[in-house]
Amino acid sequence: MPRSSHCGSPEHSLNRRAFLGATGAASVSLAADMTQLNALASPGVNDALKKTQKRVILLWLAGGASQLETFDPKPGASTGGPFRAIKTDVPGVMISELMPKMAQRMKHTCILRGLDTKNGDHGSAAITMMRGRRNEAAVRYPDLGAVLAREMGRADSKVPDYVTFYTQTEGRSMAPGDAGFLGARYAPMELTNSNYPEFIKRLADISDLDHKERSDLRELLGKQFVAGRSSETLSSQNEAYERVRGIMASEKLFDVTQEPQKVRDRYGPTQFAEQTLIARRLVEAGVPFVRVGRAWWDSHGQNFETHQEMVPELDHVMATLIDDLKDRGMLDDVMIVTLSEFGRTPSINASLGRDHFASAWSSTITGCGIKGGSVYGKTDDKGNKVVAEQVDAGSLFATIYEALGINPEKNYYVGSRPVPLVNPGIQAIKQVLK
Amino acid sequence: MPAPNPDTLKPAKDFSRSVITFGIARKANTDNVFLGCSDFKVYSGDLSAAKFEPKELYTHESYVTGVALAGTTLVSGGYDGKLIWWDTEAGKQIRTTDAHAKWIRKVIASPDGRLIVSIADDMACKVWDAKTGKLVHDLRGHKEKTPNDFPSMLYAVTFSADGNLLATGDKVGHVVVWDVKEGKPLATCEAPVMYTWDKQQRLHSIGGIRSLAFSPDGKQLAVGGMGKVGNIDHLEGKARVEVFDWKTGKQLVEFPGDKFAGLVNKLAWAPDGSWLVGAGGAGEGFLVFFDVAAKKALRQEKVMMHVHDFEMTADAKEIVSVGHNRITIHKLG
Repeated sequence: MPRSSHCGSPEHSLNRRAFLGATGAASVSLAADMTQLNALASPGVNDALKKTQKRVILLWLAGGASQLETFDPKPGASTGGPFRAIKTDVPGVMISELMPKMAQRMKHTCILRGLDTKNGDHGSAAITMMRGRRNEAAVRYPDLGAVLAREMGRADSKVPDYVTFYTQTEGRSMAPGDAGFLGARYAPMELTNSNYPEFIKRLADISDLDHKERSDLRELLGKQFVAGRSSETLSSQNEAYERVRGIMASEKLFDVTQEPQKVRDRYGPTQFAEQTLIARRLVEAGVPFVRVGRAWWDSHGQNFETHQEMVPELDHVMATLIDDLKDRGMLDDVMIVTLSEFGRTPSINASLGRDHFASAWSSTITGCGIKGGSVYGKTDDKGNKVVAEQVDAGSLFATIYEALGINPEKNYYVGSRPVPLVNPGIQAIKQVLK
Repeated sequence: MPAPNPDTLKPAKDFSRSVITFGIARKANTDNVFLGCSDFKVYSGDLSAAKFEPKELYTHESYVTGVALAGTTLVSGGYDGKLIWWDTEAGKQIRTTDAHAKWIRKVIASPDGRLIVSIADDMACKVWDAKTGKLVHDLRGHKEKTPNDFPSMLYAVTFSADGNLLATGDKVGHVVVWDVKEGKPLATCEAPVMYTWDKQQRLHSIGGIRSLAFSPDGKQLAVGGMGKVGNIDHLEGKARVEVFDWKTGKQLVEFPGDKFAGLVNKLAWAPDGSWLVGAGGAGEGFLVFFDVAAKKALRQEKVMMHVHDFEMTADAKEIVSVGHNRITIHKLG
């Protein structure tokens, strides 16, 4: 099926093959050096660059993973299901027996158990949880990836600022990456059909010279067209063309076969594992934000079978990612977030399923300025409601921003209207920040 | 004596329960039953009592998914991986066995009461001496991972009427028939339609073989589960039964289901082999009767709960179904 748009946003409706195919190959070779791994580990970076060293990998558990079968078990309660809780390496903190590997790594991870986000509808909840707030009629907010691309991306970066994997089809349209009012410059590179960006290679029937000449011509015509005009769309489009050179050079970052076999074996053979390994390669090369979408957790029927199948994979991949980042000395600079659009009902239906539930569910944050081993929020004995330290989407986002060294009260401007990164009055959760 | 006609099926009693009952064992020729439940407890109850009030016997550490009677010994198994052996006459625990590394799915007793069999998600079928509790066989014939590298599950097990055969069925539709005495595999059958792997929309699976039953002559093996599912968020596939000549692995009959959605969790043959009954469900439940020889459904009855297990009396005149928050008794004949 032809792919009509790189980012999916209305502002950027160019055919990706067309614009990538019209870009100078000479520039590719210039960009190549910028995509080497270990850019983060380069010595001599000053404090001013510290903020831009931060990176985020979001493990997006689409469809709504169950908090009761992961990070907030209620063994023995009528709502608790069949799985036991197990001890972790943090005294007093128990998680589901389906996560034995993470149980040995909770000292790196903060659990937020008090999410009450009010919305149990897949589509609108996904939009809220990707943005930290609901869109307004007049303002389409940028999502987390777009904000971090803006705040942590480098102007001269030759790698994408925001990459999102979402290969399964269910729920994909409900949670697209969206730069909102920030424009197409911060829109994601979306990978939906494979782990490798489509159309990233120069077409075989276009020579290097042709490629460069087309780029030069486009640039000339573009400058003539823009002269005397002022448009965010035009500006975004030109920026996108500029960045294509770097993106084309970054193709190897997506090639998981570039990793040693023992590293690939460590992550495992599943699609989620491979995409998470690529995410690690991307953040290592300087990409500020990567979302790895793992659908589909919507277990209305057979909740326990579904979680028996999917949670061990999450457990293994998350634990491996933590180990890998730690081994590379990157855990202080790379944040791992697990998040869904909501959790699942404590009550168990006749199909042994759990339904949508946004009143008391869990998320985790690991690394990068977050207090490992901390647990914030408490739910009641059956998991029906939050009884202490309630968290909403806004305060979760404020916490993420602050941990990354970004002021949540910072304003963007939509026209002359100041728009802070989180809604006014929303505070970060200081208790989980280092 | 010919089995009663399924057309005579009628509901007789119905009890509401606050818990989900996953397993039932009935003491032969009595109204005494033993129940394994979602509150981790095992109960005994008298179905003939004016008010059915099951009495708590003991507790597992998780869902109790199987109960079986071998003479006067009750054996229960659960998601805690343990088997608890209970003397029903003395009213005391005999022993606890750490039987499996993962979740126990079913516990059954041999027809002569000399053996107990447990199956679990460690993909082991373990045969135990009912009197001593010693392991007789550890049968391994099912892969631990699905072809898609996710954990598999071992859901179903049954004895033949003469006790010489065992059959086990797993998540991906693989069935192994075992020689009980030798502890060796005799044959395999495949029912892949029972397993739905959604590789594109949702990237996980649903289904699996949930029930097995040998025909009274031991020549045919009925396999129950659910047909292919479009939206695997729900148990929306049709309740499905296939019947095999297990020696050749050839499918003889399939009942793809035309009325009810959900899993067929239990199967049993009429004692004269004239019909096969299956029960299960999704949001609601069903009892379905098949004439296997004529390859047709005889009776399809809605039940007001997802049925997880049933016990049919030896004369097939009564079926006690247990499941989601209810227990229902049907009479035949």
